[in-house]
Amino acid sequence: MTSVVTLGRGPLLLAGSGPELGEHRRRWGPLARFSATELVARCRALDLRGRGGAGFPLADKLGAVARGRGRPVVVVNLSEGEPASHKDVTLARTSPHLLLDGAVATARAVGARQVHLVTGPQGVAELEQAVGQREERLRFTFHRAADLFVAGQSAAVLELVAGRPNLPVTTWQPSAHSGLRGRPTLLSNAETFAVAGVLATAGPEAVLRHGTPLEPGTTLLSLDGDGPPATRQVVEVAHGTRWGAVLPPSRLDAPVLLGGYHGTWAPAGALHDLPVSRRALAGAGLTLGAGVVLPSDGRCAVRRTAELLDYLASQSARRSGPCLNGLPALASAFREVVDGRPRLDEVRRLAGRVDGRGACAHPDGTARLVRSLLVACPDAVDGHVEGRCCR
Amino acid sequence: MRTLKVDWPACRARGLCFEVLPEVVRLDDWGYPVVEGPVTDDLLGSAREAVRMCPQLALRLVKG
Ligand code: SF4
Ligand code: SF4
Repeated sequence: MTSVVTLGRGPLLLAGSGPELGEHRRRWGPLARFSATELVARCRALDLRGRGGAGFPLADKLGAVARGRGRPVVVVNLSEGEPASHKDVTLARTSPHLLLDGAVATARAVGARQVHLVTGPQGVAELEQAVGQREERLRFTFHRAADLFVAGQSAAVLELVAGRPNLPVTTWQPSAHSGLRGRPTLLSNAETFAVAGVLATAGPEAVLRHGTPLEPGTTLLSLDGDGPPATRQVVEVAHGTRWGAVLPPSRLDAPVLLGGYHGTWAPAGALHDLPVSRRALAGAGLTLGAGVVLPSDGRCAVRRTAELLDYLASQSARRSGPCLNGLPALASAFREVVDGRPRLDEVRRLAGRVDGRGACAHPDGTARLVRSLLVACPDAVDGHVEGRCCR
Repeated sequence: MRTLKVDWPACRARGLCFEVLPEVVRLDDWGYPVVEGPVTDDLLGSAREAVRMCPQLALRLVKG
């Protein structure tokens, strides 16, 4: 239930001007108009990357959409299929006009007249209210995603917007060239649009005030997002912040799952010396994905992974053969490891068998999760194989 | 260079691609194709045949 997350606070995107347009304008200033070239240059200068997980540069997407044939369409994705992710709904409730400013500025820059807003199954009342106050000559259309882990994948979101079942399909071409009904389609995550909203109102300086020269700005994190509702938090931190300032050092002493269920396990203690930075984390073989952070604390990371694999196997949309057969096989081989049987080679083999072999990245993400555990917690894994669980 | 791409939701593990193009395609535990490496120029003819023969129209030759 996303509605029970305490609204987050933060220095930039979550500074919170609320759903009143007047108050929002007083805080952020008027919305500037940009040509596609200008907006591309501004996004490039800030190295603004997609915040939905893949981290693709927005400037490249914008450029491709602007060069495409036909009238472009803009799609703002805040559907968050992952149960532990709450940052986009928090953003949409706290600063709805900021992400709308970003969507409007991009739509105008590329010449789109239609903006699609894709929320989770419950919708976001604050965003609907905010759209009602906008006076731009654009058509805003709301869509609610299905309650399914893979519903938020971009190909699945485009299916939903096109009026088909909200499931991933095989894409032969990037949607920037040929997306909705063959039109160039700019689909990105809500947080990405909110940063574009800052660019188009307060200007790049407002972003550059935070973060590091290489990675300006901030990032939203969902902490303990699948824990008891009272413990769930969404925070906004400047890039370059030490992890020790985000989580109590004691929690960093245990393995932390970064990037959510499709993410990577950071070994116990590894985050002590690392900043919140996609570059630095990538250098350590870790991914921040869409900003989901799940400390393991007292729980065994091996058992936790087994539970997640069961869940992920159950969330296969059961369309791609290797995914619908391979994920349950992988989950059950891993269960055997947990129960002390020497099936590690089989786990590795099956991870290779599913990786890259689906219409969406669900099998790839699942393989990444299990492989990262084997790297991050080799002793705990060996302990299980030898019949003694660490806890 | 071309690569054989599979439309996974369409593929029904009939295995014809493996019969036509064993140089590039193997079958996995469940009979679904495993595409191993790119399609080299000398195999382009067989690869096109595999695309034509696939009963589910689940194969495409893509650049790269
Ligand atoms: S890879 Fe799995 S989850 Fe993704 S579309 Fe195929 S069956 Fe569905
Ligand atoms: S011939 Fe087509 S349906 Fe059959 S296994 Fe190959 S890709 Fe799948």
